[in-house]
Amino acid sequence: MKPARPHEPYLLLLPTVLLLTLFFLVPFFVAAKESLYSWDLLTPRTYVGLANYRLLWERGELWRAFRNTLAYSAVVVSGALVLGLLLALLLDRKGRLAAFVRGTVFSAYVVSWVAVALLFMWMLDGEAGVVTRVVVALGLPKKNWLGDPAVALYTLAVVSIWKIAGYSMIVFLAGLQDIPPVLYEAAALDGAGRIMRFRSVTWPALGPSAAFVATTSLILSFQAFDVVRIMTQGGPVHATQLFVYAIYEQIFLNLRVGRASALTVLFGVLVFSLAALQLRLFRGRGVA
Amino acid sequence: MSSRVSRRSVLSASLASALGACDARLAGGGERAALWYSYGGKNREVLERLLARFHRDPQRPRIDATFQGDYFESLAKVRTAIAAGAAPALTHVVAEVVPYLAEAGALEPLDRYEGAADLDLVPGIAQSGTYLGGAERPLVAVPFNRSVPVMYVNKVMLERAGVGIPQNWAELRAGANALTLRRGTEVAVWGFECPVSWWFWVALLASAGGKVVDASGEVTLGGDAGVRALDLWQTLIHRDRVMRPPLGRDYNAWQVTTQDFLSGRAAILWSSAAFLRYIEESARFPVTVAPLPRDVRHAVPTGGTLFVILRAAEEREKRAAWQFLRWMTEREQTTEWSTSTGYLPATRAAVHELTRTGYYDAHPSDKVVLGELDAIEPWPWSPTLFRVQREIMDPLLENAVLEGTDAARALEKGRREALLP
Amino acid sequence: MKPRFPVAALVSAVVALVWVGPYTWMAITSFKTLPELLDNPTALWPDALTFAAYREVWATVPMARYLLNTAVMAVLIAVLQIALALPAGFALAKLDFVGRRAAFGLVLVCLLIPAQATFVPVFLMLGQAGLINTMAALVLPFGASALGTFLVRQACLSIPDELIEAARLDGAGDLHIVYRLLAPALKPTLAALFLLSFVFHWNDYFWPLVMTTDDRIRTVPVGIALLREQGSGVRWHLVMAGNVILSAPTLVVFAIAQRHLVRAVTTRGF
Repeated sequence: MKPARPHEPYLLLLPTVLLLTLFFLVPFFVAAKESLYSWDLLTPRTYVGLANYRLLWERGELWRAFRNTLAYSAVVVSGALVLGLLLALLLDRKGRLAAFVRGTVFSAYVVSWVAVALLFMWMLDGEAGVVTRVVVALGLPKKNWLGDPAVALYTLAVVSIWKIAGYSMIVFLAGLQDIPPVLYEAAALDGAGRIMRFRSVTWPALGPSAAFVATTSLILSFQAFDVVRIMTQGGPVHATQLFVYAIYEQIFLNLRVGRASALTVLFGVLVFSLAALQLRLFRGRGVA
Repeated sequence: MSSRVSRRSVLSASLASALGACDARLAGGGERAALWYSYGGKNREVLERLLARFHRDPQRPRIDATFQGDYFESLAKVRTAIAAGAAPALTHVVAEVVPYLAEAGALEPLDRYEGAADLDLVPGIAQSGTYLGGAERPLVAVPFNRSVPVMYVNKVMLERAGVGIPQNWAELRAGANALTLRRGTEVAVWGFECPVSWWFWVALLASAGGKVVDASGEVTLGGDAGVRALDLWQTLIHRDRVMRPPLGRDYNAWQVTTQDFLSGRAAILWSSAAFLRYIEESARFPVTVAPLPRDVRHAVPTGGTLFVILRAAEEREKRAAWQFLRWMTEREQTTEWSTSTGYLPATRAAVHELTRTGYYDAHPSDKVVLGELDAIEPWPWSPTLFRVQREIMDPLLENAVLEGTDAARALEKGRREALLP
Repeated sequence: MKPRFPVAALVSAVVALVWVGPYTWMAITSFKTLPELLDNPTALWPDALTFAAYREVWATVPMARYLLNTAVMAVLIAVLQIALALPAGFALAKLDFVGRRAAFGLVLVCLLIPAQATFVPVFLMLGQAGLINTMAALVLPFGASALGTFLVRQACLSIPDELIEAARLDGAGDLHIVYRLLAPALKPTLAALFLLSFVFHWNDYFWPLVMTTDDRIRTVPVGIALLREQGSGVRWHLVMAGNVILSAPTLVVFAIAQRHLVRAVTTRGF
């Protein structure tokens, strides 16, 4: 359609383009520039070229942030997929009970990460937490959920799965409800039992839903920050040092703007690629 | 204009005024200064009480006090706020970071303010005694809540085990071994608990005769003394298994160890004089306070924070901040602060007053803390001290103690890291 | 899929416990007092249903201020996003002009960049502009929503051109078309956008943490998180009371608008 006046589209788009450029594009270039300097915000900058990147690599900080984030994401994504699917299968029925349970599981989606992190910190408290007491009452060995380097990262992952399982469930439910009942009837007529019907009808039809949940939760886990900041502050011994927390720590605690900017650039590229991949897979297609 | 648009403009106008009300930079007229502080709990109560008292006189400026999290969080915010042009006038920072801030030009020199020359501060915890050569430099920091590391013991447990209060490292080890009670594979009572952190490591190191940074400015991490300090912990945690392995970072570790002591799960606790009141009031058993067991010398680092005024703030705010600061160093306030919290009194007048009125006789624990003033180990005036603490030593200690790596090797690695930019 | 009845009910009960349990525990803890907590932290029921913790939280932190800040911020962002996405989405969907593909490309690119990747430079930029600790720092960076623009554009594509042309013939200006014609037609999309945005920004901890230090502009999530950092014994009953205050509004929104949220999430909402 032709615009009513020649300048019309530009005016309509101006605020949006302005804000997006200012707050999304420009920062990327600012970060790229800052990553070539060493600056502590108090004294003048010094040019260091690619030293920040090199040091991040040599000191193992980059690899550690990446590896931790990858491990965390792997657990969260698999957990969200499996749990979401199981919950969807379980609760895909009519009735007030099922609706109520669906609601409570999904409600974790609207609660703040801060609230979830604090709540679980309390429940996992080494002495007074409910989880600890239950574990001890059951005679199982006591674990230091947030203070043991071998366990802490997975504790965070489990907390995250608790929060996003409801979201995953909703996506799978929508996918399930899209499957025409006729397909099940046809399979049943062919003599397929319940398991067979699941494998031949349900499973393939849920492919897109699963892919959507997987990519969304992957991107979300890569952006995880709140749980780390509140529950473990990157510790113990950097076991829960996720990417975004590493950036935060570099600038706000170590006051190394250059280092933080270098991490930002690398992180931006990483997440951008992941999100671009998702966009290609789902361009224009709704899930439901 | 359609009516929807004009409705929108009314809406946006009222939102704009709400925005203005929410804009935190709108300072009222009159003298004001922002104070950023980092206590919670009891210390916060006392600070608020003192602030209220300061504000009772309407001639005095208003001090807007904001809680900013723990020391390190608050410090981070201060530094970024300076860069962002949103610096408060007054805040308090740990002793280790003052040289860095001073050398970076972030701190307001205080000598030119009225009354700066006659503050009558206790040298050991004022700038002059806290830093090597502190008296020769322009005054930039005034003691606020100053502490020393001390040892808290559960006297009942010690008596039951026939253990005396440890005076040196060997006695500490023996005592911790005797006091640890095991139930099967679990430990019911730990003989000894101490937050594995920079401060206590420096305390051990100083007692062993070492210095973190030597006279030429090289970061030696205490040399052999530093190794022995770390090795003591390794021994107690991994070989003897009488010291609880570290949990959590920063103040999580302090909370846990304090709670353990209070609930009778630890017989000996190393902590700060800062928790004296809290521990005495919360414990259900008699608590005895003693100096840390020593190695070859009696030396303790200072802890806690000092007030600083930030150069980036406006002149008016800085003047207001100074007024408050000066008021806080008056005898009445320093006395109250010390007796209410357990921190050391900042002025000599306060010490005299408390001695004269028999306070220290009635409070032997405070007397022990006061006695440590004779053994203050000054910090080097080194701008890299804070980085060494946060970026090198804290992770190094946490790592080495958790994994049980060889102390000498860990510190060697730390020394090499200190050389990197 | 109809699993056998008793097993399904049992499993459902377990599921409900796992997801309702923590909230209940949060609420129970918030009604306890400090001595109770020290004595018997896992007692299933408080000695007395006391609001002491809530009173103490309300007295020690300016909670009313935080709630106001957070509400204003979240509403402003949501409203601004819709106000900007409508004209932008319309232009991208319906109008032919030079640079349309570039503009759409910009939207797509920004869709892929999270706030966590921009906060360092934005912090520096806003700092230099003296805007740290202002509502502007909290709202403006999110004023334009790439996702919102994208969704509105998609929705506009299915609006018949004839409708718009007819309105134009009647003498309607662009703003009229965008806000009086399209907005009502796109109500479901806009409702979804508003909900998602409001909830997300109400709960946002990261951005206000980085952009504000002043208590006067602080938001609820940051304020509640600070409750924990006390240094000499965490008072969990206070933290949980704060948690309840933080979560109650969004849970209320959830109870009212659950169906809309579900729809928002399943049509490419994030």
